[in-house]
Amino acid sequence: MTEARPNPATVLSDAADLGTKMLTGGQLLHGIRDADVQIATTPKDLVWRQDKVSLYQFRPLAAQRIGVPMLICYGLVGRWTMTDLQEDRSLVRNLLNLGLDLYVVDWGNPSRADRYLTLDDYILGYLDGCVAEIAGRASVSSINLLGVCEGGVFATAFAALEPQRLNTLTLTITPIDFHADTVENRLGHGFINIWTRSISPEDVDRLIDANGNLPGEFMGAIFNQMSPMRSLLKYNLDLLEIADDEQRLMNWLRMEKWIADRPDHPGEAAKQWVKDLYQQNKLVRNEWTLGGRLVDLGNIRMPVLNVYASDDHIIPPATSRALGGKLGSSDYTELALPGGHVGVFVGGRSQALFAPAVASFAERHDLPKKTR
Amino acid sequence: MMNPLDYSKAVTDFWSAQGRALLQAQEQVGRVLAEGMQAVAAGKIPNIPPMPDNLSPEAEDLARAAKSVVGLWSAATSACSRLAATIPSTTDSDGIVEATLRKMMDPRSWTGATGGLDDVLGRMAEGPRFADLWEIERRYADVLQAWMNLRRRSLEHNAVVLEAWLDAARQFSEQLAARNARPLDAKTALTLWTDTANRQLLETQRSEPFLQTQAALIRATTELRLAQQELVEHFGKQYGFPTRTELDDVHFALTELRRELRAVQREQRKPASQTAASATTPRAPQRARRAGAKRGKIAP
Repeated sequence: MTEARPNPATVLSDAADLGTKMLTGGQLLHGIRDADVQIATTPKDLVWRQDKVSLYQFRPLAAQRIGVPMLICYGLVGRWTMTDLQEDRSLVRNLLNLGLDLYVVDWGNPSRADRYLTLDDYILGYLDGCVAEIAGRASVSSINLLGVCEGGVFATAFAALEPQRLNTLTLTITPIDFHADTVENRLGHGFINIWTRSISPEDVDRLIDANGNLPGEFMGAIFNQMSPMRSLLKYNLDLLEIADDEQRLMNWLRMEKWIADRPDHPGEAAKQWVKDLYQQNKLVRNEWTLGGRLVDLGNIRMPVLNVYASDDHIIPPATSRALGGKLGSSDYTELALPGGHVGVFVGGRSQALFAPAVASFAERHDLPKKTR
Repeated sequence: MMNPLDYSKAVTDFWSAQGRALLQAQEQVGRVLAEGMQAVAAGKIPNIPPMPDNLSPEAEDLARAAKSVVGLWSAATSACSRLAATIPSTTDSDGIVEATLRKMMDPRSWTGATGGLDDVLGRMAEGPRFADLWEIERRYADVLQAWMNLRRRSLEHNAVVLEAWLDAARQFSEQLAARNARPLDAKTALTLWTDTANRQLLETQRSEPFLQTQAALIRATTELRLAQQELVEHFGKQYGFPTRTELDDVHFALTELRRELRAVQREQRKPASQTAASATTPRAPQRARRAGAKRGKIAP
């Protein structure tokens, strides 16, 4: 192997650039405190609380153009703050600027004391309570619900069980057919689907019995497995690349902050999530029951907007798109956004596509004041 | 010249010898443990429960798994020392890239790349350690057995991961060789290595050996944690501390009470007409989520 032999002037210049970059980066990092790295900064007010669950209403950033309020429902894996990561990459801000009356539910930090909470509790208990509170505050009989990932499954189930209480349903990167990862079978895509099918239901039960909950750290490790080389480069070369650019460094640190905030998933709910859905795929088969009631997708009769990421390696597009044809609603729209799972919220291109599509959908189906 | 990617016989023999030594050491530990426990039993504690009679096979399996890994490890070390020699040395800004590449070529970092879960599982399982456990031999033996099983499963899983890295190193080496004498800067080499290793690791992750050994590792971690918890429960009961089981009972009761409260609040929210209807047509009860639960069931 012959080595590359750059000329001495280039070597000196490169070395000087590198030194400057490291010095600047070091000074920047030294000057940044954790308190400087803020996410989810859009002003909001707590309007309802039950146990550890909090419902917030965002303060308007523009005149309200859409009368029916919208609730953002994230899942129990990760936190809703991804939807408001920073000012220029915020679904929340974009929707507010487009005139929506916007709410978000925060599930809190489940502890071992919450291990017996089930998905029934979250969907038919807490989410139900949030919807009722918003409807009461806005004096409407139905609201717009936007579910994200696992929260999209919550929203789907709620829509099937309480269809009269939703005006529209918007799903984002939401798995419906948990076995549809096999449709494309792309390398590096759908590892969680493969992994959950490789463990037995008994192992899931024992894991939860031993730990109480599904630790957030455990799910973090599974996510890291999905991009194995990234973890080796993340804190050296990747960081060095952006170290002297304050804006990019802060963006990176905000994302790190979101990643680090990984709540534990309540144990019994985790058993249902893995066994009923990932393993037995009950949702798309109309076999899933909550509170003794069957979650029949055919009961979803309100307009549905299904947003998926075309390069989503966590929720492969086919697992989301399986919703089409299963609904009772004929008003079904799909929107493919560029990028991956997280890129939907923070990607530069999706900023101009995502919120306008959601707002337009909600506006198109907005109800006259008398009939709300 | 010896092919660095062929498992070097000399080095493997060396590691095999180490493996045999490990096996002997494990057997010795098992023997000493048994003898020590018998001595303690004869002197101080009557009616000592017998040791599990399958402790020795566990030790053998552990030693076998360790032997497999050290063999692979030797091959990895050998292969990577050869690969590292092919990385171009630079003095310019690529120096950091080169250093990173060299670090990534160090097999010690390899089990870490996909071993994050292993680390997490380890921390989850290996809770507090207890020094004075000789009075509760059976539980201690259970913990020891579970720990040995966890080590064995961890080694078996690491062997699969190491094989993937070796395959990646082999492919990388072949790609370098195919370039003949054309120059390759550190950044290009890093990109080539990253892409090659990433692809190989992702393919391995969906392979049956990876999934099976990882499932076995998770199972072993769980069993160790449960054995440890049983031990702690014993202490708790002995000294009057609240146990995990007792706290779980309280949390279960609290969850059910809150569930009932939410159901009442929901009923109160409904218009009178709906409330009357629901009183005559109650919802089907939610199934009990907890094994052995006998409490009244209620919708969430």
